[in-house]
Amino acid sequence: MTCLRFDLRKKMIPYIEGRLAGPGTARLERHLLSCDFCRALLVRLRTGHQMAQRLAWLSLAIDEVPQFDSGIAGLVATGATGRAWPSTWPDRLEALATPRVVTVLAAVVLLQLGLLVVSNRAVLLGEHSRTSVSTGSINLAEFRQLTIPELRSNTQPHVATEGYVEDVHTDEEEGTVAFRLVERPQSGSSFVVCEIMSPIQMAPPPEGSRVRVYGVERYDAQQDRKWYEVNPVLNIVALKP
Amino acid sequence: MDRTKTKAAPAVALKISPARAPEEHRLTVAAKRGEPGVFREIYNAYRARVYNLALYSIGDSAQAQDVLQAVFLKVFRGLAAFRFESSLATWIYRIAHNECRDHHRRRKAPFVPLEAVLGSTDEVDPQPSSHEQHARRERDLIIQRAVMQLPFKMREVVVLKYVEGLSYEDMARVLGCAPGTVASRLNRALAELEERLRPFRQLL
Ligand SMILES: [Zn+2]
Repeated sequence: MTCLRFDLRKKMIPYIEGRLAGPGTARLERHLLSCDFCRALLVRLRTGHQMAQRLAWLSLAIDEVPQFDSGIAGLVATGATGRAWPSTWPDRLEALATPRVVTVLAAVVLLQLGLLVVSNRAVLLGEHSRTSVSTGSINLAEFRQLTIPELRSNTQPHVATEGYVEDVHTDEEEGTVAFRLVERPQSGSSFVVCEIMSPIQMAPPPEGSRVRVYGVERYDAQQDRKWYEVNPVLNIVALKP
Repeated sequence: MDRTKTKAAPAVALKISPARAPEEHRLTVAAKRGEPGVFREIYNAYRARVYNLALYSIGDSAQAQDVLQAVFLKVFRGLAAFRFESSLATWIYRIAHNECRDHHRRRKAPFVPLEAVLGSTDEVDPQPSSHEQHARRERDLIIQRAVMQLPFKMREVVVLKYVEGLSYEDMARVLGCAPGTVASRLNRALAELEERLRPFRQLL
């Protein structure tokens, strides 16, 4: 028989790593006393974790990674968008130094000063022991309401966007469910691909229904396409058609 | 770029340490000031980590090099629009993750096993070491191969955590999902890894 304590199972790796706070440890250990399913899983995860830890020192060779001059400089100089870049680095930097860029970078530096120290010490300093799990940290107010076409110029990660559901399908191997969100059914205009990564916790909406998806938008500076990607992380709300 | 290469580097016991916070800060300031050579520095600071992620994700060195180029092209072009809502490292990882996934979706070809990437274990060891070290490397390569054969999304979460050393929060930012999703996907991946390696348990 399986067990429905998904919440506790998500804490198992932090528990194995000794990073789980006291009350969390007590809750998990209390549950383990009475749950064969979770005890068996913990044993498997501990073994998997110990094996995976050995990847850390067995990284791939840096010699194989191309040097900057090999292809990157040429690519940046000509560019995929067809815009010709100046051929020398100081000139390229001058080309980048538009008022907008300078403003953005100034803001960036100020933000970075704070953010780097506070939120990214764990990654940047390799302090794995400082990492923690916070599964309930998503705040509704962080989600920017945008129409599907407005996603084009968005650079904020958390968005809420609405549309009609089409083409719901399951990826068996990955254990995910995906669907498309369109402004109007069968319009052929721009659309959003939504991928639910934990289908057990978030059910896919029925095809043809109208929904609002609270999710994380993929952002990678590629703005010349007709489709976007929002992975639902908070909720999928059914709306009136 | 040398496209004739079909094999990646031998796996060398080289841990690529994450960039230090002051270093990342310095690069950001340098980019703001328009200092010459700053893009080269950003590239050199992150290329190994991006390449690692690409090679684990794709399993082919020539294709991983293509992905590496595409990632940094986007990084350099995107810096202007980037609002630094995450760290530079997380943002670069996110672009790399998206690029790897697009590549994975486009290709639809059978996954190239790690053996083809790393070559035989004979060429793995540049300087024959003691018998015990050699045996240990052999054992670790078995684990690495098993990871490379996990489904794409499981592999990625294992690599981000155990090779790149990201926290759950940063993995969530990179993968565009909730930290809870990262936790459950990591559980699935590790349970799967344990199952695949169970026959080798005594050996490992
Ligand atoms: Zn249980």
